[in-house]
Amino acid sequence: MRRHWGIIGLVVALGLGIFSGQVAKPEPVHAAEKTYTIAMDTTFPPFEFADKNNKRVGIDIDLIEAIAKAEGFKVQLKATSFNGAVQELQANQVDGVMAGMSITPERKKVFAFSDPYYQSGVVMAVRKNGNITKLSQLRGKRVAVKTGTASADYANSIKKKYGFKTITFDDSNNVYQDVISGNSAACFEDKPVMQYAIATGLGLKLGNMKMAMANDYGIAVSKAEPALVKKINAGLKKVRKSGEYNKIVEKYLGNGSQADTDKKAKETNDSSSTFFGLLKSNRGALMAGLGETVQLTIVGILFATLVGILVGLLGVVPNKLAQGIATTFIYIFRGLPLMVLALFIYTGVPMVIGTKIPAFVAGIITLTLNEGAYTAAFVKGGIGAVDVGQMEAARSLGLPWTKAMRRVILPQGLKIMVPSFINQFIITLKDTSILSILGLMELTQTGKIIIARNMEGFKIWTMVALIYLIIITLLTWLSNWVQRRIQA
Amino acid sequence: MTTRIEMKNVVKKYGTNTVVRGVDLKVEDGEVVAMIGPSGAGKSTVLRMMNGLETTTSGEILIDGIDIAKPHVDIDKVRAKIGMVFQHFNLFPNMSVLGNVTLAPTELGMMTKDEADKEGRRMLDSVGLADKVDAMPSTLSGGQKQRVAIARALTMHPDMMLFDEPTSALDPEMVGDVLGVMRKLAKQGMTMVVVTHEMGFAKEVADRVVFFEGGEIQESGTPEQVFEHPKNERLQSFLQKVLEA
Repeated sequence: MRRHWGIIGLVVALGLGIFSGQVAKPEPVHAAEKTYTIAMDTTFPPFEFADKNNKRVGIDIDLIEAIAKAEGFKVQLKATSFNGAVQELQANQVDGVMAGMSITPERKKVFAFSDPYYQSGVVMAVRKNGNITKLSQLRGKRVAVKTGTASADYANSIKKKYGFKTITFDDSNNVYQDVISGNSAACFEDKPVMQYAIATGLGLKLGNMKMAMANDYGIAVSKAEPALVKKINAGLKKVRKSGEYNKIVEKYLGNGSQADTDKKAKETNDSSSTFFGLLKSNRGALMAGLGETVQLTIVGILFATLVGILVGLLGVVPNKLAQGIATTFIYIFRGLPLMVLALFIYTGVPMVIGTKIPAFVAGIITLTLNEGAYTAAFVKGGIGAVDVGQMEAARSLGLPWTKAMRRVILPQGLKIMVPSFINQFIITLKDTSILSILGLMELTQTGKIIIARNMEGFKIWTMVALIYLIIITLLTWLSNWVQRRIQA
Repeated sequence: MTTRIEMKNVVKKYGTNTVVRGVDLKVEDGEVVAMIGPSGAGKSTVLRMMNGLETTTSGEILIDGIDIAKPHVDIDKVRAKIGMVFQHFNLFPNMSVLGNVTLAPTELGMMTKDEADKEGRRMLDSVGLADKVDAMPSTLSGGQKQRVAIARALTMHPDMMLFDEPTSALDPEMVGDVLGVMRKLAKQGMTMVVVTHEMGFAKEVADRVVFFEGGEIQESGTPEQVFEHPKNERLQSFLQKVLEA
C-alpha cells in the first residue's frame, strides 16, 4: 500500500504544477508605455464592426486609438459580446469596456466612467413593409432586445404599459433578424446604431416613437485604474478640440444623406455574395479562425489526455482516498456544462484570485477539466475491463501493483480505450466552438463576426460547418491510422 | 522436515456468509497435497489465501514460518517464492510466450534479460513447448497455455506451487499433457497444493488428500485412507457420486 502513495503524490503534484503554471503566467501589462486591454462588442455598428476585409473598425475603435495616441498609451482591443465584455471588466480580465455603453447610476456603482463621448437614446425599429409602427400596436407581441443594454432596460420599463413580451439576444444581428423574420414585432436599439444599420440596407425602418432615455455613452474603466480614466478624459478633450472627433463621427455616420450612407454600406459589404465570392473574400479570416481552433484542439487534447490518464489511474489505485479524488473529479467536471465551466474559470475565478486569466489559457483549462473528466472515466473503465485474472496472475508472480499495472494491465487496457480516445478527440475539437463565449477568435466566433457584418448566415455557417467536417475527417483518418498501428 | 505452509483456524466471511470455517492445515516440504470436494466447498478460497490473493477474516497463515497477514510483511517477496497456476491460465495476451515466462524475473531484477531468456527457454523445453517460444498466447491450445503458465511459475524458481483446478477448463484430450508435467514436478520433490477434480491424479500423485465440504476439512489422510476407507459420510457420498459419473 505504501507504494501507491508515491503515485498519488506524483499525480497531485503534476496536476497542481499544470494549473499553477497556467494561472501564474505573468501579464506583460506594466511596461514602460502602458498597454490597456479594452473589451468591445463584436457587432455594434457604427461603433464597432468588421469591414469587408474583416478588419475591425468603428467610431469606438478610431476614437480610443486617437485618445491613446494623444495621451501616449497603447490599447489592445478585444472583441467579445457586450455582456461578456462587462463581465470581463468586473473580473478585471480587461481594463476597460468601450461598446457604446450608456452611463447609468447602476453601472457607476461598479465601474468608473470617462466623460461622455456620444449622446444617444433608444428608438424603436420595425419591419420595413410591416403594419406595425407604433408602441400601442405591440400589445400581445414579442419585442427583441440585446442582453444587458439600455434598450433592454427601456423595453422592460414599458412592457407592462404596452403589454408586450421581450426576448433577449447576445448579438445585435440576432435581434434584427428576429424582427425581419417576423418572430418579433419590433426591437429597441440605440439610435445611431439603428440608423446606421437601416442606412446600410437592413430591412427595418424606424418606428413612430420619440427617442427615449436620452443617454450618454462613456468608457467604463475598472475602479482600480483611476489613472486610465484621467488619461482618457484628457485625450478626449484633445481630440475634440483638434477636430479629429468630428472627423471620426462623420467618417461613419456621414452627413446624413442617403447617397453617403449607401457609400458607407458599400465599404462594409462583401463585393460578391455568391458562396465562392464570400469564401474568397473571407478566406483570410476563416483560416485565422481555423488556426485558433486547431491550436485550442491540439493543446486541449494534450492536457486533457494527460490529466485524464492520471486521474483515471488514481481511480484504480487500491486506495480509498485516491479513488475518492478521481470519482469526485469525474463527478464535478463531467457534470458541469462546458459553457458554465468556461465562464466560471474566465470571469468567476479571477474575481477571487485577483489575477487575470488570458482567454486562451481559460479555454485550455476548461477543456482540460471537462474533456479530462471524460477521459478519466473511460481510462478507469478500460482498466476495469481487463480480466481480473490478469492482475492476479501478475501479482502471484511477485510483481508489485505498479509493475503489474504498467506491464500487464495498462497495455491491454489501452487497446480497449483506443476507440474512446478517438471519440474524445473529435468531441474536444467540436467543443472548442463553445469557447467562442470567451471571445476567442476561433472558427465559430469568426463565423459570428463575419455574419454580423454581412448577414449571410446560411452561406457562412455552411462554410464553417464544412471546415469543421474537413478537419474532423482528417483527425479521424489520423486516429484510425494510429489505431491500426497499435492493434497490429 | 520443515513446514512450508501452516494454516491455523483460518476463517473467511463475506458479510454474513461464512465460506471458510476454521481450517487447520499443514503442508510439509516436498509434500503433494490434493484438495478435493464439491464446488463451493471453499477449496479454491483456501488455496488463494495461501499467497494472499484472498484475505483472511481471522486466523493465521504462516509461509515458511512468516505470518503473511502482518502489515510489515512484503507480500510480493512471499509470492515470488510461491508459484500459482490458475484454472483459466491467465497468460498475458500482450506478450509472447517467452515474454510471459521472463517478465517477472527480469522486472524483479532476479535475472538479466539474457539469463531470463535462457532459463525461460529451458523451462518451456521441460514442459514440451520449446517450439512455441515466440508464439503469442492466443495461438495456443488450452493444454499448451496451461503448460506455459506452469513454466512461467517455474522460471521464478519457487519453493512451492499452488494449482487451482488446473485441468478443469481443458478439453479431455489436453488433460493428460498437463497432468504429465505436474507428475514430473511432484517426482522432482516440488511442494505442491492442488485443488482438483481429477481423482485418478489425486490417488496416484498426492501424498495426502484433504476433503472439503461446507468450508471445513471433513477428512484428511493418505490417498488409500481417503479413497479406500472413507470414514466421513459426506466423503462417502461425494466419492460415490464422482466415481459413478
